[in-house]
Amino acid sequence: MSRSRRESAILYAVVIVVIVILVFPLYWMFNTSLAPATRLRSFPPVFVQPEPTLAAYQSIFAERPIGVWLRNSAVVALSSTALSMFVSVLAGYSISRIRARGSQAIGLFFLMSRMLPSTLIIIPLFVSFRQLQLIGDLKSLVLAHATFITPFAVWMLKGYFDTIPAELEDAAMIDGCTPLSALVRVVLPLSAPGLAATTLYGFVLSWNDFVFARTFLVANQNAWTVNVGVASLKGEYLTEWNEIMAGSLIAMLPIVIAYLFLERFLVSGLTAGSSK
Amino acid sequence: MVAPRWSLWQPGNRHIFAYLLLLPAVLLTAAIIVYPILSAIDLSFQKIKIAKLGRSRAPWTLANYEELFTSAEFYQAIWVTISLVATVTILSYVIGLATAVMVNQHFRGRKLARVLVAVPWAVPSVMAAIIWWWLFDSSFGLINWALVRSGLSSEMIPWLSTPGAAFFVIVVVMVWKGYPFISVIMLAGLQSIPVELYDAAKVDGASAWNRFRFITLPGLRSVRGIALILIMLWVFRDFPIIYILTGGGPQRTTQTLAIMTYQEAFKFHDFGFAAAIGVITLIISVIASWFMVRRSDEPLY
Repeated sequence: MSRSRRESAILYAVVIVVIVILVFPLYWMFNTSLAPATRLRSFPPVFVQPEPTLAAYQSIFAERPIGVWLRNSAVVALSSTALSMFVSVLAGYSISRIRARGSQAIGLFFLMSRMLPSTLIIIPLFVSFRQLQLIGDLKSLVLAHATFITPFAVWMLKGYFDTIPAELEDAAMIDGCTPLSALVRVVLPLSAPGLAATTLYGFVLSWNDFVFARTFLVANQNAWTVNVGVASLKGEYLTEWNEIMAGSLIAMLPIVIAYLFLERFLVSGLTAGSSK
Repeated sequence: MVAPRWSLWQPGNRHIFAYLLLLPAVLLTAAIIVYPILSAIDLSFQKIKIAKLGRSRAPWTLANYEELFTSAEFYQAIWVTISLVATVTILSYVIGLATAVMVNQHFRGRKLARVLVAVPWAVPSVMAAIIWWWLFDSSFGLINWALVRSGLSSEMIPWLSTPGAAFFVIVVVMVWKGYPFISVIMLAGLQSIPVELYDAAKVDGASAWNRFRFITLPGLRSVRGIALILIMLWVFRDFPIIYILTGGGPQRTTQTLAIMTYQEAFKFHDFGFAAAIGVITLIISVIASWFMVRRSDEPLY
């Protein structure tokens, strides 16, 4: 299958134009973050900064508690993912391996609960957390995130456990392992890539959350996650767009990198579900 | 003979082991998902404002639902939701499919092109909203500058405070964030279509368009359904993009059911009424996801 010169030239032109348009907003974000404050409100716009500066990055760390926000995001994402992984490994393994009455229904509930509207669930949750005096406390967020990660994690892990032959555990149990130690000693080590991908995805889900963080933490600026913090930078009388862009870039960098590792895993999960 | 001691590990007790493994996950979801849903349904039948919450329960009433079904705002929110879901889904599908076909061609640098096409998928919704906010900024945004400069518009457009324009901005942001999802799924679908089909069609003299229509499109049938339902549910439930950019305004022209639920609760503190709207969104979500689960369990051919 070969293409004429002319055809490949057209193909390249199309590919380049399309990609430039689609990726341009990200370039513009990067470009703005390197702009000195004086050049933000001037026309014509500058497409390549003649004197790029990291001033916006310095001032956002100096004048805003973005360090604290990043730390909060990291603490919440790590704790909620850890909690969720603990419960999801057990549940995913149970659904994958043991046919017990009702466990399929529970699995189905997990699958469907990924689609529930968080804007509804958050109303009574806010009421409960207020009674428990958890509003403004990162613990509220850890609990909420861990729960919303769990349905995804259970199904990702179940899919992974399904690929590991049960004979390996049977052999371990004949050698005297209990089913629980067979899970820990045999299945988990073999599932390392699946565990890693699921953990990373849990981290991404927690880091990306806005609705819970904004609702539970809005009154306590020191507990803000980076998404809530960066979104709050707009809305004041004058917006320093270079600072917002710098902050946004820092906030999304870990997620974009995570996606580079995750994409194949997520796609195979989605398409496997559709063509089972 | 001594009866063997009871042990969890006996084969007959395997189902108990299964339940024990499920227990922590079930407890967590029961506390943070199931209980809130039940209590939201309960709330939706009470006329209750935030101050009284959690102290005593108000008597059961259908007032919230009556108010809802007679309010023009609710029907407007339904209309906004339907238009947004339809517009974003169609545009994301077209762009997603086109980019998938594009990066499925053979050319040098195709791996890089695949990564770049998928990149907006990785951008968190909050950041996607903020980037486009700046691009559409009414005073110093690049888009206004380009429109005025090229003569397409005679003045700077206040995008987010003009009714139709604000809706357009939301659509742009959502399509930008949503098309890569379709694209990566469609690419996986394209790769599963056997090359022999195309070769045979070429031998038979089928045109490029006919090959696309009779081989590519049917070949994507299996992944298309799930991709479309997932993206529709995503638009339906989205909170950050709309909330950050417009909060549902101007004049409620970007207020979807999800945003209306949130605003009634946390802006107007009318928790009972908000819960009633939320229950409607819940019913729609459950029906859609049930449809998806059913579909994914069906055999392909």
